Amino acid sequence: MLLQLLINGISLGAVYALIAVGFAIVFSVLKFSNFAHGGMISACAFIGYFFQASFESPPPIIVTIAVTSAAGVLFALFLDAIAYRSIRRHRSPSIYYFLASLTISILITSLLNIFFSKNALAYPMLFSSTTFDLGSLKVSRMDMMILAVSVVILAALMLLINKTKIGLAVRAVAINPDTSKLMGIDSGAIIVLIFSIAGFLAGVSGVLLGCKYGVYPDLGQTMMVKGFIASLIGGLGSLGGAIAAAFILGVIEMFWTFGFGALSTPVMTFVLMLLFLFIRPQGIAGQFAKEKV
Amino acid sequence: MKRVLTMVIAMMAISLALFAGGSAEESDPNAPIKIGSIQDLSGSASNAGQPNAWGAEYAVKVINENGGINGRMLEIYTEDCKNDITEGLNCYNRLVGEIGVCAIIGPALSNPASAWVELSAEDEIPIVGHFMDEVCTTNPDTGETYPFMFLCEPSCSQQAEDLAEYAIRELGKSRFAVLYNPSNAFAKAQVDPFVAYVQERGCELVASETFGWSDKDYSAQALKIVASGADCVFLGDYLAQMLIAYDALRDAGYTGTIVGANTMAPPFADQVKNDVYDVYFLQNYDMLNPDVGNINELVTKHMEETGTTSPQVNVGFGWDAVMVLAEAMKKAEDPTNGAEVAELISQTTDLELSGGITLTINEQHRTDTMGMYIATYDENGEMIIVGYEKVD
Repeated sequence: MLLQLLINGISLGAVYALIAVGFAIVFSVLKFSNFAHGGMISACAFIGYFFQASFESPPPIIVTIAVTSAAGVLFALFLDAIAYRSIRRHRSPSIYYFLASLTISILITSLLNIFFSKNALAYPMLFSSTTFDLGSLKVSRMDMMILAVSVVILAALMLLINKTKIGLAVRAVAINPDTSKLMGIDSGAIIVLIFSIAGFLAGVSGVLLGCKYGVYPDLGQTMMVKGFIASLIGGLGSLGGAIAAAFILGVIEMFWTFGFGALSTPVMTFVLMLLFLFIRPQGIAGQFAKEKV
Repeated sequence: MKRVLTMVIAMMAISLALFAGGSAEESDPNAPIKIGSIQDLSGSASNAGQPNAWGAEYAVKVINENGGINGRMLEIYTEDCKNDITEGLNCYNRLVGEIGVCAIIGPALSNPASAWVELSAEDEIPIVGHFMDEVCTTNPDTGETYPFMFLCEPSCSQQAEDLAEYAIRELGKSRFAVLYNPSNAFAKAQVDPFVAYVQERGCELVASETFGWSDKDYSAQALKIVASGADCVFLGDYLAQMLIAYDALRDAGYTGTIVGANTMAPPFADQVKNDVYDVYFLQNYDMLNPDVGNINELVTKHMEETGTTSPQVNVGFGWDAVMVLAEAMKKAEDPTNGAEVAELISQTTDLELSGGITLTINEQHRTDTMGMYIATYDENGEMIIVGYEKVD
């Protein structure tokens, strides 16, 4: 049973990690919590669903993920153009970013509600059997797919940030955009890149969460809270910290729910978040975002 | 000063003339009868509210095509309460205060309806609907019946008891578990009487697991249910939660029977990830049977007109509520007199509804003459009716 709970917790953590990283990467550079990410995940889940539904015989899920991620990038760039660019140009305080992202998130969810109502839509079944046996354990194929995709994407992202020149530029802009500019880095382009990556992650998350939980307007919003908590516990803006915290959060939630019931789980989660804020505000990563990505 | 006085008198005269004009229109014995319909057209219960509204509007259309209420046409004004109590109150005030309706067709959900119990009595506005929580028709503290609230289907506890009885007697189950959201009034109003009934019948409740609105993973709860050795699990939430709960149970290795509320009806079987087997759920109608009542005709017409891909039970709810109201209005001397119409609704006896079953309203303004169908899915995922249950 303990091993089964651990596997389920890791699977849940993989879902949280995907969301948390989309959250953390924007925070790392722009220093604001991009709540629009939840709305984008919902929108991408619908885009992926309608892309699949437009074919008589649905294309492989990887094609849907690729198309939806591309759509997510375009969507993110569109949002940047209409909501954030002017804030950047005017060098407005971060609170404006936060308010804009919150507004966008509510706007997207409300529009989805108007056009599609709250009714859940379902992606076609991906597997003929939803689980496979691993000894005495039952493992969800969907969870394993989410875990595998998350690990690959998160590893690629970590490599990009830590081992490439672009990543170096991202880290430089994260620390100080003005100084980066003086050193020849186009901080505007880096910010656009960050939004593109967040859009890409929203596309991947939208399809995977849609496959697992169904597609409805609040899908991203409800998951966003957990992503935010994970990124906060991990150390706001730290990708590695967010990933680690997401998996830890998933496992703790699973064991807590099993032991004490689901109703007390949100209490535990928020107490955990408060504890980190009081005792270790820099999070698991140990360093504030302003110092390092 | 004289000019001002003249203007004031002129305005008062105009107001009086307008007011007098309005009165004349309202007292016109041939004027259309205005009724309201408050439904969850958007929000978390729109999948129930939209077909409900369609059914009510279609019933009005059919009644008017057949001569209306003793020659007077019905006019229906539909408002969206979004499964929200405040919105519901706004809808009620708009319909009664601004439009001047004389009766209201209520939503299928109890949350908004429960807020109108006092208002409907003050304004003498009969409200007929499928708000199945008993608190909408009976004061839970005093046991008194709300005089203007009427329920046209078995209440929550009646439905839960019908299902529990079927599970015990027909399916032979004795070790029960429940998995539900206690914050969802719809689920709680069914789970509590279900549990009470199975325990009264000597069965065991081996697990009672819960989840919250924001939870998306019920696998820990499902594992506990598997470990409890339950042979039957009751699910009583809305469709989105039912899908996650069903898949969590099957993914956790639960192979026993799953019974549930009417939200397990199509498109449930098309949307779950696991194979659907050994599930039994409540249904108000034998919707797919063209030989009973006109429910099959209604759901087919609804699917044709709206492009909905699966038959929607709420179409029948909207239709039935209008028919109950219209039947009373036809008998009334003044069909716009709320008190008279309410009195006649309370005397409804053996009125055949769209499902072919007859309705008699009892002293609590509910019905104890109706039972519930028990449905399941065949190997092709098609819904089939396997029984009809009515606990006395």
